[in-house]
Amino acid sequence: MLTGNLWIVDTTGWVVVINALVASAVLVGLGWFLARGRLTSGVPEGRQVFGEFAIGFFIKKAREMSSGHDRAKVVGTVTPYLGTFFFFILLCNLFSLLPVPVVNRPPTSFFSATLALALCAVIGNLFVSARFKGPGGALKHLFWPNPMQSVGEVTDVLSLSLRLFGNIGGEYMTVVLVAAVVPVGIPLILHVLGLIPSFVQALVFTLLTASFLASAIHHEERKKKAKRGWFGRKRSEPRAQS
Amino acid sequence: MNAIYMAMVAVVPIAAGAVTAALVMRHISVTALEGMTRQPEIAPQLFTAMLIGMALVEALCIYTLVVTLVIAGKIVV
Repeated sequence: MLTGNLWIVDTTGWVVVINALVASAVLVGLGWFLARGRLTSGVPEGRQVFGEFAIGFFIKKAREMSSGHDRAKVVGTVTPYLGTFFFFILLCNLFSLLPVPVVNRPPTSFFSATLALALCAVIGNLFVSARFKGPGGALKHLFWPNPMQSVGEVTDVLSLSLRLFGNIGGEYMTVVLVAAVVPVGIPLILHVLGLIPSFVQALVFTLLTASFLASAIHHEERKKKAKRGWFGRKRSEPRAQS
Repeated sequence: MNAIYMAMVAVVPIAAGAVTAALVMRHISVTALEGMTRQPEIAPQLFTAMLIGMALVEALCIYTLVVTLVIAGKIVV
């Protein structure tokens, strides 16, 4: 179970599909539960506080990349996109906390699942940027100003998927190996420590997707070139006092 | 005998990658902490940038882990 088949979906492969479906069902149910009822634009209370706390970070990230575009449109498009990635990956990572032996394998410890997520992120970035710059502008970003940027997209897929897979799969393997040697006590500590990468890797995946997206939808303004001295410092600027 | 060689080939890169990534991540965290203590008002931005930098460094270590897993999957005892 541990050595050969970590990469590819085979006989144990239904775990990844079922667990991912369960995670998405939990996510949809949670979203429905939080958005249900009376929502107010005044002082929120109850569930609305939690929901706004959960998506506030992504609204902030979306606002940061909205310069030069319609801010409401950017926030309305980018916030659900990033938030879905974060909460789905977080829920998938938390599957290792379940006390049931076969079911507790996180879907993100399969390379196929993380590869699918990374493909969704990179291709989705193309579609989201096509919404703001048009299809031509989105495709132009792949080849202009540097034609190697299209190669960069492929390496983005590889780095995003391998990072998530290595962290979560490695943590899962560590827990399983240690639990085979010492079944009581020590795995609890490892599970508690495993909470940190499960949160951080979901955050890192989302932040990297956000930074790729920010560079994709960046609004290019034609500016007059400022005359610069050496080291990129403007002639008119005073020398920085340290 | 072949299995022993392959095990050594699998183990050496992960050790080198872990040590190097640990040193670089120490440098990242120390400099980020220095910046945060000097200017606590920009600590959230620094923390986000630190996480991204650490993730990029960690990815290199993860690549060696993946290579190790591939080699370890081929060991036949």
